[in-house]
Amino acid sequence: MMLDALVSVFLLAGGVLLLIAAWGVVALPDALSRQHAATKAGTFALAMVCIGAMLFALDWAWSWRILLILGFLLATLPVASHLLARAAVRESNLVPDASQVRLIGDDPAQASKPGSRT
Amino acid sequence: MMLWLATTLLVLLALASCGLATWRIIQGPTHADRVVALDIMLAAAVGLCVAASIYTARTVFLDVAIGLALVGFVATVGWARVVDKGADQQGADQ
Repeated sequence: MMLDALVSVFLLAGGVLLLIAAWGVVALPDALSRQHAATKAGTFALAMVCIGAMLFALDWAWSWRILLILGFLLATLPVASHLLARAAVRESNLVPDASQVRLIGDDPAQASKPGSRT
Repeated sequence: MMLWLATTLLVLLALASCGLATWRIIQGPTHADRVVALDIMLAAAVGLCVAASIYTARTVFLDVAIGLALVGFVATVGWARVVDKGADQQGADQ
């Protein structure tokens, strides 16, 4: 019963984090920040779901498969997110200058004018 | 019962994030955004596979999830390369 509750908490945390990642992809203002939201929160969400499944089964047939998924994700997602960020910067000609980064709620037309942010 | 409820909620949340990602794929505006949204869809698909294996108590769906993770990585890297080269081409044209 206790274990069921723990598994449920892990699964729900994974689902909510996945939704937060997707919401970040919709709400954030440019490709770089969207990539940031998707890859970090997405990886964490999948890790939560996988740990939940591992606790659900408590069996090596499940555990090694889940560890394989987790290890593979942790090894490859940094590479994928780096390449995505690189593609985003080069495609949209984003200036890598922290003072120029737009935030949620900023007007894109105003943010492009010099001196609009103080 | 609680576990069933949690798994169902996980499925619903994953489907909702798929919907949000679809909106971003349609909306754009750059190709990099679409590839990022595909990444979210892949994460949701792996989550759905794990949920399916919990529903049925079988490991076959975990094998599907392994395959999805492998294919998704290659797809993301491939698309990122294509977008990168496309940006290069655009820069050369201007």
